[in-house]
Amino acid sequence: MNSLASLTEKVRTFTMSMSTSRLRTAVLAGAGTLVLASCAQDAPQDTWAPAGEYAQEIHDLQWPIFMIAGIVGVIVMVAVTIAVVRFRDRGQPIPEQSHGKAWLEYLFIALPALLLAGIAVPTVATVIALNDTDDADCIVNVTGQQWWWEYDYPIAADGSICGFMPSGEAAPIVTSGQMVIPTDAKVVIRGTSRDVIHSFWVPKLNGKRDMVPGRLHTWNFQADRPGIYAGQCAEFCGLSHANMRMEIVALDDADFQSWLDNQLEPYQSPEEGTLAAAGEASFITNCSRCHQVDGLADADGNPIVSQPELQVWSGAAPNLTNLMTRNTFAGATWDLLNDDCRDEVWEAEPDIFGERYLEGVTEECLNEIDLREWLRNAPEKKPMYADPENLEETDGLVRGMPYLALSEDQIDELVAYLLELK
Amino acid sequence: MITTGSKLLVGSAVAAWVFAAVYGVAQEGALGTIGLVSVAVALSLLAGLNVFVRDSNVSAMEPASFETAPAAQATARSSLWPLLVGIGATSLTLGLATVPAFFVIGIIAIAAGALEWIIQGWSERASADRAFNSEVRDVMADPVELPVAGAIGFAVIAYAFSRVMLGMPSKSATVVVFSVVGAIILAVGVMVALRRGISKSTLTGAFSLGAVALIAGGTIAGLNGEREIEEHHDTGYIAERNECGTEETEADEKASQTVAGKSNAAAAIHFDGTELTADVPGYDGDFETLQLPRSNPNNILFYNESDHHARLVIELHPAEGTDGPERLCTALVDEGGVQLLTVEFDRPSFALAADGEGYAFTVPGSDAELEVVVP
Ligand code: HEC
Ligand SMILES: [Cu+2]
Repeated sequence: MNSLASLTEKVRTFTMSMSTSRLRTAVLAGAGTLVLASCAQDAPQDTWAPAGEYAQEIHDLQWPIFMIAGIVGVIVMVAVTIAVVRFRDRGQPIPEQSHGKAWLEYLFIALPALLLAGIAVPTVATVIALNDTDDADCIVNVTGQQWWWEYDYPIAADGSICGFMPSGEAAPIVTSGQMVIPTDAKVVIRGTSRDVIHSFWVPKLNGKRDMVPGRLHTWNFQADRPGIYAGQCAEFCGLSHANMRMEIVALDDADFQSWLDNQLEPYQSPEEGTLAAAGEASFITNCSRCHQVDGLADADGNPIVSQPELQVWSGAAPNLTNLMTRNTFAGATWDLLNDDCRDEVWEAEPDIFGERYLEGVTEECLNEIDLREWLRNAPEKKPMYADPENLEETDGLVRGMPYLALSEDQIDELVAYLLELK
Repeated sequence: MITTGSKLLVGSAVAAWVFAAVYGVAQEGALGTIGLVSVAVALSLLAGLNVFVRDSNVSAMEPASFETAPAAQATARSSLWPLLVGIGATSLTLGLATVPAFFVIGIIAIAAGALEWIIQGWSERASADRAFNSEVRDVMADPVELPVAGAIGFAVIAYAFSRVMLGMPSKSATVVVFSVVGAIILAVGVMVALRRGISKSTLTGAFSLGAVALIAGGTIAGLNGEREIEEHHDTGYIAERNECGTEETEADEKASQTVAGKSNAAAAIHFDGTELTADVPGYDGDFETLQLPRSNPNNILFYNESDHHARLVIELHPAEGTDGPERLCTALVDEGGVQLLTVEFDRPSFALAADGEGYAFTVPGSDAELEVVVP
């Protein structure tokens, strides 16, 4: 008791010694920081900035609810403060005690009940609307694994892919990290996971949807404007959960058509004698046991088929056929574009965005630093379970990409080769 | 007068200095010596402090106060806990030579006995008042004892009861016994609740009788072993034995394997007698093929809507040198039945195309076929 009294005494003298003006400055500074933090300029995953139909539906629900909650909160706080200050103990006698007021109690039960009921109706309606995944214009299969997302585009009966008719022959397209969709289209993803539970979340376009092994969950996306919409895995999924990001890239119809046709272009080996040709050979020895490059063939012309299920725990590794048409890699965590070129694409106005995006990654624009670091020692760049000494639990299978002991010359060749994959 | 606590600390400090010196001379590497010297310094400080404040014990200088101390008032009572510790020690030694379970039981017995003994010994010195001391003991021990005793009791009941149930000669017998036992328990409960006057000893007697009967029954049933339980073959088993034709199999025709798999399957495949069609979440009718990811267990539900038994079969074309199954199939499914099939593809379709092959679901005895594309 004694020590408590002396402590309160100390606090009192301290606050009193602090001049009122200084106190005011401190409060203002604190509040100012809060306000500034709430309007960050660079917030690609802002849930308060919807950029499509579904995110808008969520937004239309969340702001009135936050507002109501805020008003109720302020009223309660003010009432509590008044009660505390006005009726504090000044040594006055204890007032006469009465037993409540029935009508007031009914009011205080009815009011919150009505408020909650009022909130429940639009909430349930929105939840139902968001889960209606019929009438898709475009379907994309999404598969999560530690620690990246794979996308594949199924072919409809009429030969169209994602609602667009390819100029050449249709074939399944497999990509990773960046999911390309047509602007305005209602895109339904059919998602699952190859290992643990992940969650697909692109805040500007829709809420989260868990991707669960053995189950197939559908979810909607629609983007109003061309652009890149960032997101990240929203269900803790192990070591590199923080590095499991994704982007949805919306292109207008003409650009989407070009993207589609380009993805389906037949593979072309690099010209003989070039650095890239040496890279292709090196890729076949070092990489293609995990990574598929569609169209890559051995000396006899037989297709080279990757077998990631014999190497990687999830049974998959990113398909690199058109690596350089995307502009991030390894779970969309690092840029394939260097800083200048990146800004030109990411900050492009909607009308020129598609054109810039479709340029892909050129030699001048390549972010060599991160890509080389990745090839030099992937698990050092992104935490992964790939230490060969420590794989008893997975029967020798790695989670992520292992260290491959490549020489700098090999890395030069491989980078030259990867640059051709677009 | 040097107090007891100080003696302990001074002794420890001296020992630590000696050890540090011996270790420093005898062993290589500075790390161990640094550690021991640190310990010695810390102990010396503590010893100094303790000597200075005389164990923080004001009465140490007043012999008169010792006479009124609780410890001086009553001798400790006899305790059964050392017996448990002794049994534990024996069991532990026995366990070392024979079965590891005895070892574990020994450790548990020693730990439990020692804990109880400590609590009892401490509480008997808590004050000069015996009644108060026993109350103190309960306050300390009950929060541990009661939940542990409850858990053990519950485990014994559950285990014994489950043995009895599994020992019943047939499934229907278990249902009958379960209902009868449940009814008896309910009836006894109602009786006890209605007749407040039942004496405590009658109740204790009844419950002990029940407990003995249960444990005896459990022991007998446990020794007799479980009844024969029919095994439901899963699709992998059928496929392994290559029973994927139109022949009957012993498999449970209605089994859909797992409840979880039935919701949110990757596709529902319907067979109407001539054709296979897929009902796929997200697809709205304009897909003739099914695109399923590679190296992923895809759950497929097979609905047999034809008017005869049918099964769904798929050839998996595993890569050479891998040990996956050649083909997978459901059991023969009744008219109107459903079954779950989990399929995982190792190779993309284009790899098969080179050999003129492809993936497709088929139904033996019909021409129905549904193409699958693995990207
Ligand atoms: C043991 C299998 C394995 C081998 C061999 C392997 N990788 Fe990888 N690689 C992976 C996995 C798994 C990932 C995904 C890692 C992640 O993002 O978490 C990956 C990711 C990548 C990525 C990023 C792709 C994307 O779309 O995000 C590139 C580029 C890459 N690897 C290049 C190579 C090259 C070049 C080689 C050969 C020198 C190689 N890898 C060898 C398993 C492998
Ligand atoms: Cu994840």
